[in-house]
Amino acid sequence: MQVNAGGPGSELQSEINITPLVDVVLVLLIIFMVVVPLLLKGYDVGIPKASAETTSAAPDTSQVVLNIGAKTCPVFEPPAGIGLPADCQVSLDDRVIPVTDVPARVAELVGGRPADNRVVFLAADEQLNYEAVLRIVDLAKSGVDDLRIEFVTTD
Amino acid sequence: MRLGEPGRMQANINITPLVDVVLVLLIIFMVMAPQMRTGPEVNLPKTAKPREQGDERNRILVTLDQTGKLWIDSQAVAPEQFGDSLRAAAGTDPDPKVVLRSDARLRFGDVRRAMVAIEEAGFAGVGLIADHAGAKSGGE
Repeated sequence: MQVNAGGPGSELQSEINITPLVDVVLVLLIIFMVVVPLLLKGYDVGIPKASAETTSAAPDTSQVVLNIGAKTCPVFEPPAGIGLPADCQVSLDDRVIPVTDVPARVAELVGGRPADNRVVFLAADEQLNYEAVLRIVDLAKSGVDDLRIEFVTTD
Repeated sequence: MRLGEPGRMQANINITPLVDVVLVLLIIFMVMAPQMRTGPEVNLPKTAKPREQGDERNRILVTLDQTGKLWIDSQAVAPEQFGDSLRAAAGTDPDPKVVLRSDARLRFGDVRRAMVAIEEAGFAGVGLIADHAGAKSGGE
């Protein structure tokens, strides 16, 4: 079997060349070292200034307010599994809808706007569980890609 | 060249131990990856589609644990010093980003108070950190 074309006098090479393997593994190691401190996932939300200065929704378009009340969506403990209880209802733009309709309604209301004006204002009851509120944020964001969420105070 | 052949010099460096060490390091990193996070343990909320929170290193990690205590990185901070500590953590960074890890068992009002405190310290937005639902707990 002629493996080496290295000319006369070259011997048969019986070892596997593992240098490329070492290269690949070292690169993987470096990737892991770089990526490890940076792995965090979540949602960017805005906190409008507490002072009187209003936020950037253009005055000619109506502000869409997503209101999560303790009466219509009574989730006070971390919801089990994924998703939210079926009886959870929220008020979006003054209409009470089941929480499962949130992505479609958000897309309908702000999906057609220019990208920098896709804002939903979120008012949630203080008593509600944080995880439930965040899951509703997730639903709203899944309706429109680059949706901005601004938290507002209910009082 | 054949190993064990008498009277022949071995010209190749034996890199098998090197490979062993590097593979072990790789495995250690893969195992440690979910745990290498500053701040106390919190039970992050699980959601369907959390987005990447940027790969900037100028991120300030704020944690709100189950008892409602605030942490900046791995340092517990008293509420009255929170604003100053946060500005100190931002330093001279022109565009600092604050991310907030909050425990899933908290009430929304507790988290909102932390967000208001972050806003009052001069930061316009915050990233709310969540776990991908379906990923194992404590994972990325």
